[in-house]
Amino acid sequence: MSFAARIWPTSMGIVGLVALVLLLVAPPVLIALGARFWISIIAEVMIWSLLAASVNLLFGYTGLLSFGQALYFGMAAYGVAFGLDKLGLSFWPSFALGIGVGTLTAAVTGVFAVRLTWHYFAIITVVFSLIFYFLSVGWKDLTNGDDGMPFNIPPVFDFAGLQLKLYDLTFQYYFMFAIVALCYLFLWALLRSPLGLAFRSVRDNDQRAGLIGLNTYGIRYVSFVIAGFLASVGGVLFALFARFATASYLYWTVSGEGVIWAIVGGIGTLFGPVLGTAVLIVLREELSLYWEHYLLVVGAIVILMVRYAPDGLIGLLHWLLAGRRKWESAPGSAVAKEGQP
Amino acid sequence: MTEIVLKTEGLSKSFGGLRAVDDVDFELPAGGLHAIIGPNGAGKTTFFNLVTGLLAPDSGRVSFFGRDITGMKPHRINRLGLARTLQIKSVFDGLSVYDNVWVAAHSHLGFLHPLRPVTSYRATASKVEALLDRLGLQGCRDELAGNLSYGDVALLEIAIALATEPKLLLLDEPVAGMSPTETRNTVQLVKELSKSVNIILIEHDMEVVFDAADVITVMNQGAILCRGTPAQIAKDKRVQEAYLGVSEEARC
Repeated sequence: MSFAARIWPTSMGIVGLVALVLLLVAPPVLIALGARFWISIIAEVMIWSLLAASVNLLFGYTGLLSFGQALYFGMAAYGVAFGLDKLGLSFWPSFALGIGVGTLTAAVTGVFAVRLTWHYFAIITVVFSLIFYFLSVGWKDLTNGDDGMPFNIPPVFDFAGLQLKLYDLTFQYYFMFAIVALCYLFLWALLRSPLGLAFRSVRDNDQRAGLIGLNTYGIRYVSFVIAGFLASVGGVLFALFARFATASYLYWTVSGEGVIWAIVGGIGTLFGPVLGTAVLIVLREELSLYWEHYLLVVGAIVILMVRYAPDGLIGLLHWLLAGRRKWESAPGSAVAKEGQP
Repeated sequence: MTEIVLKTEGLSKSFGGLRAVDDVDFELPAGGLHAIIGPNGAGKTTFFNLVTGLLAPDSGRVSFFGRDITGMKPHRINRLGLARTLQIKSVFDGLSVYDNVWVAAHSHLGFLHPLRPVTSYRATASKVEALLDRLGLQGCRDELAGNLSYGDVALLEIAIALATEPKLLLLDEPVAGMSPTETRNTVQLVKELSKSVNIILIEHDMEVVFDAADVITVMNQGAILCRGTPAQIAKDKRVQEAYLGVSEEARC
């Protein structure tokens, strides 16, 4: 039995359950404590974690390092903004439009991107990101360029006089929580399915995968589109959260943040990227108040993590929970593997 | 007339100026254990790579049960029933031994369900169990493949190849790096397998080859030198020269 599998049902399970309960009771508790600000921060962490999850599915589970996942995040944000602002659609059609636009962008760019692997793949994802970035900055009539597209949000539900609106802080929180939770439920099921196992097979050894009858191109493509879908859900939620869509969401440095969150949290694990996103966003919120060069700290953390804890924060957590027994980095650990083509 | 499992005609592949495989005509009738031997650099592994689609030939054709598979992608060739192991052992390091065999047993079915749990496939599970039993890998079924000893990796690779239910199995130096006991067991296993699966074996260990093979093909400098039963090959002058060089007396 692998180390992780042995302790999962005990300590890790308890930690997960406690985290879930805390997330569920957070809004009333934080309001009671007079810390409403933190409700938004947690919602933001949950949303952005989908960008990290998208990177993680590609890098941690399929072996493709993308620096372009923000493209799908940003396109989806535009999609929902168009639906609400320009097309005058109601909430759910706009929601679907955003996810559709982002996922479709992934489906089209993926055809070309997954023909490549390793650094070539990383480069082409950046290139796609830049192309769409400059298009959306330049196409002012459609996107308002750098100024972005602010919009108003119609009610999410409207029946029998009861309206549920995202302008309500608590409802917004639970709405984001529900959608994000559904995404992780989907990802959890995906990763234990034959398709999920095929992703990991391609990650570990694409030549062997081909020799046992797996279509490596097809599998990478499917992974790419699903990753695009996850980033798209994140993009739609963030646009709704910020009530705003802009070209800077799809800039490649945003993608880079997703990569860093995923790596610091622990790639190749379901919830590692959530942890990474949480720690680094909270760090940003707190540290940037006092020091404008807080990114230096983030940089140092990333270097230390990659050097000394390649399994990320979730790996450290395992280690702590297991009574600091000798933590052996698994040979299949994605970071260790991806370093060597 | 027996069925022809594998046939190559005029198969050639060059790397720069080197003709690694040079105009090879090869025919494998069904049944029996066939071995390919030859000195280092004779083109044996390149020949396997051309047959299994890892390399595209410069010229020539490969057919498998009468079907032209020249230039096909490896995964399509595998789905037709051709599996192989690699000289440099190749498994999925980050997966458990069980998952390694499972994904191979399932993959050639084509459809990969995105939501149904791997654990819910009963038929695949019993197939994997049978293979783990047969290869003696039950003891390390939950280990990550990357943590296995070299000999166990070689066995796992054979299990993976068998899991795709091949009609022809190409084994590239399966006992290299194994202990004498492991070698004995593996040779016994390969002999048994050859009763139900067509096997072509590349092997450097001459003891193994002459013990196990029914027919031997000798390659040298990219071409087929000769072909025959172990007894015939052992006596063949050309083979002795290819392997040992020209004898002392002849050189003087």
